[in-house]
Amino acid sequence: MSDEIIYLDYAASTPVDPQVYERMREVGQAAYANPSSTHAAGRLTHAVIARAAEQLGGLLNVAPETLIWTSGATESDNLAIAGAARYRAHRGKHIVTMKTEHKAVTDVFETLDKEGFDVTWVDADSRGLLAPDVFAAALRDDTQFASIMFVNNETGVIQDVDALGAICRERDILFHVDGAQAVGKVPIDLAALPVDLLSLTGHKFYGPKGIGALYIGDRPGCHVEPILFGGGQQRRIRPGTLPTDLIAGLGMAAEIATGRMDDDLAHLSQLRKALWNGIREIDGISLNGDPEGFPGILNVSIEDIEGESLLLALEPICAATGSACNSKIQEPSYVLRALGRTDMQAQSAIRFSVGRPTTMDEVEFAAGRYRDAVARLRQLAPEEAA
Amino acid sequence: MSADPYSATVRELFAAPAHAGDIPGGESAYIADQDVRLRLFATEAGGKIEALRFRVWGCPHVIAAAEAVCAALEGRPVADLQNYTVADVMQNLPVPVEKTGRILVIEDAVRSLGQRFRDRT
Repeated sequence: MSDEIIYLDYAASTPVDPQVYERMREVGQAAYANPSSTHAAGRLTHAVIARAAEQLGGLLNVAPETLIWTSGATESDNLAIAGAARYRAHRGKHIVTMKTEHKAVTDVFETLDKEGFDVTWVDADSRGLLAPDVFAAALRDDTQFASIMFVNNETGVIQDVDALGAICRERDILFHVDGAQAVGKVPIDLAALPVDLLSLTGHKFYGPKGIGALYIGDRPGCHVEPILFGGGQQRRIRPGTLPTDLIAGLGMAAEIATGRMDDDLAHLSQLRKALWNGIREIDGISLNGDPEGFPGILNVSIEDIEGESLLLALEPICAATGSACNSKIQEPSYVLRALGRTDMQAQSAIRFSVGRPTTMDEVEFAAGRYRDAVARLRQLAPEEAA
Repeated sequence: MSADPYSATVRELFAAPAHAGDIPGGESAYIADQDVRLRLFATEAGGKIEALRFRVWGCPHVIAAAEAVCAALEGRPVADLQNYTVADVMQNLPVPVEKTGRILVIEDAVRSLGQRFRDRT
């Protein structure tokens, strides 16, 4: 096994499910027409897209008409946040999010801040959770929009979206949820949850890259201004010719996820437990996040170990330091720093994320490799570092 | 696709640093700076560096560079330590420019070691 790649970075991306790939291949060959065309070939393509919307709508328990196709979660987040904030700007310019959000969210808020919006950055507790009373205290009379992620991409912490959304609903604040790490992995019933906007992407749950969606709730005042221009597609909210094969793939991934979510969660829970049990006795190790969080992610820090060297020493295991989007930056994770971790703890953090194909043998190997790597690097360090 | 941040040389030296360790009773120099903690140990015989070992806390480039420096300096005159520069190591591994400061810590440690030998005589 040691010569093979052991992929434990499913929070960064997942392999395309073979059934998804087959669906995309079929659609790519048969439904090549522009779905906006009214001729028979165009109608065929349109029907393929409609079916995918039904499949994704089934996963989320929403009407297909509430879904807007995008290029992925980053675009969905941009569209939801910038689009909703600007749409509501005439009523107020106070907007709220957390310090531990993904860059696809925080960077949009920073852009809006420069545009003149008033941003409040809410703190998480030491596990990464946002208490509803802390959230409520951050809201003002002129708050029009809030964005809180469902599952944190670094720690796997699951926010109480139901409670946070209810607070927003009481005050008529548009509530966006970045669901990139949640959709297809944990149950989400948007018919029951007080969520106005939800972003998702296909490649986090065994669908293709380059395709995502934004759910826009069908209630008064829930709307976004477009951030792209150039056509009337998708109710003028998101123009551009739709990538039919990618959409069909996302739909198939959603259908598969709907059918096996309970089994997936049970599998991931077993793997995460085994991985943590295999390393939890190491001196100086600590868990980043909530033990009750999403079972696909295990984020750990270790005292007096240099994170980049640890990651290299872990090869052939493919894991992540900080988040994949930040891994080229020589800075400790801002998410972990926001949870009160020291620079030393944050820079040593490794995020293991398991997925459907992960085996128990792989996580047991990973645990052993982690133990060996820590021991080796500690042996290499001068006494002053111990 | 991201390029591999480590050359084959860096990977090799990181995986098997033959000069990692310490020399009880040998001369030593310790520096902690720039996210690096490094201690060098050395013995000399006949005016030459007989053995050079290191212990280090740092990134893979630092570990590889420490190994490369020790390998390059063993057998050289002790006097060379005080004038040592890491320019060759930077180029040969190679080390990305943003990590230059870290590698210069190794240079400082080598020179400090040379000074200790000089102070002893």
